[in-house]
This record gives sequence, structure tokens and C-alpha cells, in this order.
Amino acid sequence: MKSRTLLYVTTVPFFALTVLILLLLFSVPLRAQIEPIANLKVVPIPLPGGDIFPPYGLYNQFFPGPPNQTPPFDPMNADPHGITNFRGVTAMGYTFGAATDNHGTAYGVITDIRVYQGEYVGGEVADANSAGATKSAPSRGTFVEI
Amino acid sequence: MKVPDSAVQISGDTLIIHLVDVPVVDAFTFPPPLPPPPENGISPVTLIPARISFDITYTKSGTPRQIRPASRDPLSPLNWRGEMWDATNSGTFSLAYKDGSFSASGNFSSQGNFGEMGTEHNGVFVDHDEKNASGIVGAASSEAQAGQTNQGPKQTGKTVLLKGHVPVKVVNE
Repeated sequence: MKSRTLLYVTTVPFFALTVLILLLLFSVPLRAQIEPIANLKVVPIPLPGGDIFPPYGLYNQFFPGPPNQTPPFDPMNADPHGITNFRGVTAMGYTFGAATDNHGTAYGVITDIRVYQGEYVGGEVADANSAGATKSAPSRGTFVEI
Repeated sequence: MKVPDSAVQISGDTLIIHLVDVPVVDAFTFPPPLPPPPENGISPVTLIPARISFDITYTKSGTPRQIRPASRDPLSPLNWRGEMWDATNSGTFSLAYKDGSFSASGNFSSQGNFGEMGTEHNGVFVDHDEKNASGIVGAASSEAQAGQTNQGPKQTGKTVLLKGHVPVKVVNE
């Protein structure tokens, strides 16, 4: 599953153009209570659809938003979730903000942080003696896409 | 990533999430580029381990939009069901590279931008909940449903659970 950080930083008037994008692709379990998706017993299944960004390919996420924007959003009623087979609470929103780094440089910040809490049907290993073939399994949890 | 349920507090119209030292990686483009030959010996997909902490409050407002599945295409953005409110969110964050070479902190707000919050069902739960709502008991797959069409009259039924006192007829002989 492609997790992602959309916390990125753009220019402000008096500073050189700087863009910082934090992209969550992999997680290291530095704290026991935060679990990377790949290590879960029941692994959530990414949304089968999503947006296509050539040459990156299919990104398993939609970006709902109002019509007639540049660049365009997906339809306002597009599924905001990143996980399929999910039933629960979803929260998301696009933000702007400001940040300062340890050298005193100022940045503009854009985020899209999504929170999901509820039950889901994911995949778990069906047979420990197989290569890891899956079967459907119910579970629940709280997930955040940063 | 999966986080503890306790990281999220839902109360009334608000959802608050509080996370500390979440392990993430920093990349310099989004989406990350496909790996062409490195230039100057630096891979364009270099990912820098970092940690981020943040507090965000999402607040819903207005009346909810009732989302019904407008498509049954599994790849469609409209194949889900939900009750969603417009929502704003604001928060603070701090982040630091694991090697200590960079850190930053700041705040953000969604004021004026799109945001939403609510409950949703997607994937198998769209069909599952539709069937429950229509009184069909059981989690029969759509394939099984289709198969029934060739097997005589379609039978649907409700499971009636008896509660309370059940009258018992006593016959004295």
C-alpha cells in the first residue's frame, strides 16, 4: 500500500524557492504502538481505484474537492479513503500553513492528512507453509495517512 | 500507518489526533519519481528517515451529505456510501531528520479549503450494508445472488428474533 506524506513546503516571498515534501513510504517501528502497515497481522487492502499520475502510475487515492479548480480535483463525492473494505470514521482536509526550520528559514506548508478509524476486511496469511497467500479477515484499527 | 485508537479522540463535532515521534521518510518530490540514472551520484528517490509529531483538530459543520454508490465499478471514486459533513481542520507539527541535520515546526489550517469528515462504508461493506438494509439476511456474495436467479423464485426473508414474553397455551386434559 502506498502511504504518503503530503506535508510539503513551498516558497514564501522573501526566501529562496524551497520545496519540502515528506513522503511516507516506509515506516520503522520506533515506537511499539505505531505499526507499519506491512507488519500487521491483517493487512488493510488499498483502494482499488485512485488517480493516475504518469509516469508514476496508479496512486491508490482520490483527491476530492470542489469543481472548476486548477489543477482539478476529483469529484466532491469521490471516496476520500485510502483503504477498501472499510466501515468507520473518515476525516480529511487540505491545509496551508507556515513553518520555520532550525536555520531560521521560513516555509509555506501544505498538508493532506487523513484519519480513518473503524473495522475493515483485510488480508492475512492463509497458510503459514505457503509463500504468503492471503485470505480475507476482519479486523479494526485507527490509521493515519501523513 | 496504524496508530493506537487512543491517538484519536472523537467527541461531538470534533476529531482530535495527537501523535508523537511518528517515523516517516522525507522525499523531495511527490509522487516519488521513477528511478532514472542518478545524477551527481544522488538518487532522486533518496528517502531521509525523519520523525514527526502533530496535533490536529477536525471540526465538522453544517448538514451532512448523504453519499450513495453512484457506480458499481470497483475502480470508481463514487463506489461507496457515507454520511459526510464539511469539515475544517487545524494543527501544529514538528519534525526532525533522524540524523539531526534538519528540523522544523509550524502550524496549518484548512480554512477556505476543502475538507470533510463523517462515516463511510466502502468495498465489501457497501454491498453488505445494502443487503442488511433491505432485509436480506446473510452475507451472500453478489455471485451467489446472481446464481439464485436461475434456481426458481428468489427467496428473501427476515430472521425474526423473539423477545420478551411468549404466550404459551396450556391445555388441561
